[in-house]
Amino acid sequence: MADGKRWGMVIDQSRCVGCWTCAVACKEINNQPLGFWWNRVLTAPPAPEANAPASDNIDVPAGEFPNLSLAYQPTACQHCQDAPCVKVCPVGATFRRDDGVVLIDYERCIGCRYCIAACPYGVRVFNWGDAKHADEFPVGYAKDYRSDGRLVFTPERPRGVVEKCTMCAELLDAGQEPFCVKQCPAGARVFGDLNDPASEVSKLVNEEGAQRVLDELGTKPDVFYQPAGRRDLTDGSAQSGSGS
Amino acid sequence: MGMTAAAHARHPKAALRRLEAWSALLGLLVALGLGTWIYQLTQGLRVTGMRDVVSWGAYIVTFAFFVGLSAGGLIVASAAEVFGVQSLKPLSKLGVLTALASITCAGLMIIPDLGRPDRILNLVAYPHWQSPLIWDVGIIATYFLFAAVDLTVLHRRDTSPTGLAKTVRVLAYIGLPTAVLLHSITAWIFGLQIARTWWNTALMAPLFVTSAILSGTALVAVAAIAAQRFAHVRVPEQTWRVVSNLLVVSLFVDLFLVACDYITILWGNVPRERAALNLILPGGSWQTVFWLEWIVGGVAPLVLLMTPRLRASRALVALAALLAMVGVYAYRIELVVGGLVRPIIQLPPGIAKGSYQSDKSSFVYTGGYHPTWVEIAIVVGMFALLAAFITVGYRRLKVLSRPTESHPVPGITVESPIPEPRKVLT
Ligand code: SF4
Ligand code: SF4
Repeated sequence: MADGKRWGMVIDQSRCVGCWTCAVACKEINNQPLGFWWNRVLTAPPAPEANAPASDNIDVPAGEFPNLSLAYQPTACQHCQDAPCVKVCPVGATFRRDDGVVLIDYERCIGCRYCIAACPYGVRVFNWGDAKHADEFPVGYAKDYRSDGRLVFTPERPRGVVEKCTMCAELLDAGQEPFCVKQCPAGARVFGDLNDPASEVSKLVNEEGAQRVLDELGTKPDVFYQPAGRRDLTDGSAQSGSGS
Repeated sequence: MGMTAAAHARHPKAALRRLEAWSALLGLLVALGLGTWIYQLTQGLRVTGMRDVVSWGAYIVTFAFFVGLSAGGLIVASAAEVFGVQSLKPLSKLGVLTALASITCAGLMIIPDLGRPDRILNLVAYPHWQSPLIWDVGIIATYFLFAAVDLTVLHRRDTSPTGLAKTVRVLAYIGLPTAVLLHSITAWIFGLQIARTWWNTALMAPLFVTSAILSGTALVAVAAIAAQRFAHVRVPEQTWRVVSNLLVVSLFVDLFLVACDYITILWGNVPRERAALNLILPGGSWQTVFWLEWIVGGVAPLVLLMTPRLRASRALVALAALLAMVGVYAYRIELVVGGLVRPIIQLPPGIAKGSYQSDKSSFVYTGGYHPTWVEIAIVVGMFALLAAFITVGYRRLKVLSRPTESHPVPGITVESPIPEPRKVLT
């Protein structure tokens, strides 16, 4: 946790190809049990949205032929500045670090699941029973990780607690980027310090019109999306400005 | 309360046997519930029907219902003192007893819902004051203590000739706002959540207060009618009139508030808000709760309570009260599950369920919820515990205080001696 930083991410929807690499990478580095998805790739209309399904299935475009549009909205914890999950947690097990990362203390959570009800983005998962894994050995970051002494990651999930995306706090604190950012084959994820006006994420947010999902709720996520269709992909050159 | 029907004065032994059978039944159900909870402890919450979309189920529904039951009793008791409703006075002690029993069960009901009941003391060790759940822990504890003190004082007043009337009055003045706060805070657990449009309405607190008065009064009425029938205590006619009026008014206000909510959502027609309501309205997959709330627990008790000839029958008033409680329970299901079934995010493939089946998608849009036998056994056990608390309290404290020579109780007459139990089953 370097001083004065606020980690943020911008996901470029015109670059995302909907390949689910980030979601699978997330499962792997975090040794997520079967049925758990901290990160999922939603099929979305061209601008970040919560509620305009084109169909019940992934990869189905919105609109009517020939006016079709298709975009992807990879969705994990949005690391909200005014996070409802932090507010409702009765024991302070969910907390927000000074650098903006929202984490869960696996040793303090009482498993009341109030945070699941409170999160608008549906990104929290609960350990209903003993975790089942596809592999017999832990994969990914296979160690416990403590932040300020609090257990915020463990490969062997305790039963009865809540978990979600940690923005790879263990990697951040070691000076690395989150694993999904590193693994994205389309370069759709940009990560950096939102408090630094010169950082790429700040520029994308301040000058290029990156948007928040469910902005109207005032949760103020530190994860942003750049609407698809912003670039003219036919000749590969990026348009300047924030037009869509 | 005993179980028997008429005239046990002539057969006190039969009455006693029925009381024992009733106690044994309650004991059995409580034991089954406890055993099932131990089983759940060994397995984790995966043996419930809850999953990541509908992450609260029968336990939280029942918790909210018990909190509601607890209020009414105390409101009945306090109204007698604060507003001087003389005819409610005979029910004061019974009201406070049901309040104490219900709030105890409400507190206990949270425990099986926790993923980590072993860490429950974290609520005391690391309270996070911003959380409505912590406010609720505080107000439930306060309310529990208050009801215990109030019951003790009422009991003293009835058993000793010393004048505790002033203390009773002061307690009543504290009790009423405490009860209102208890229901409002419990409502805010839901009502303050921006992620759930179905919950996020300022109506939530008034709705909880109203449905609490309704279900709490109904519980007092059922307990009093049982006492009158089985223990041959007479509660004056005037009291019944006030009680059934209170039921009618609170039922009307309750349904009115729910209807206001429906109409606001229907007229606005915002898809995100319509989603939950569509499931509950006739034709939706959760429509059973609608019928239970509006017909079984709404129209039916209103007809029973507002038709003079039907109202004259105690059995029918008891039935109406029971139906009203069913309606309030249905509303609790409608509220808790309705708020959770449809998450705001409705993009393919949906929300991760947190459970894995090789032949099914790990994602859903609309959550399903069916309570499992584990949840049903535990909830039934809690209801039995509630009935047991009231039964034991009734026997121990002679709740519908019988007049004694040194201390006549206004309005209460006893038709025949109440047989004392040989032993008290707990
Ligand atoms: S996205 Fe949900 S879990 Fe993440 S910080 Fe916001 S409210 Fe909390
Ligand atoms: S489930 Fe755990 S993290 Fe979530 S609100 Fe309850 S105690 Fe906090």
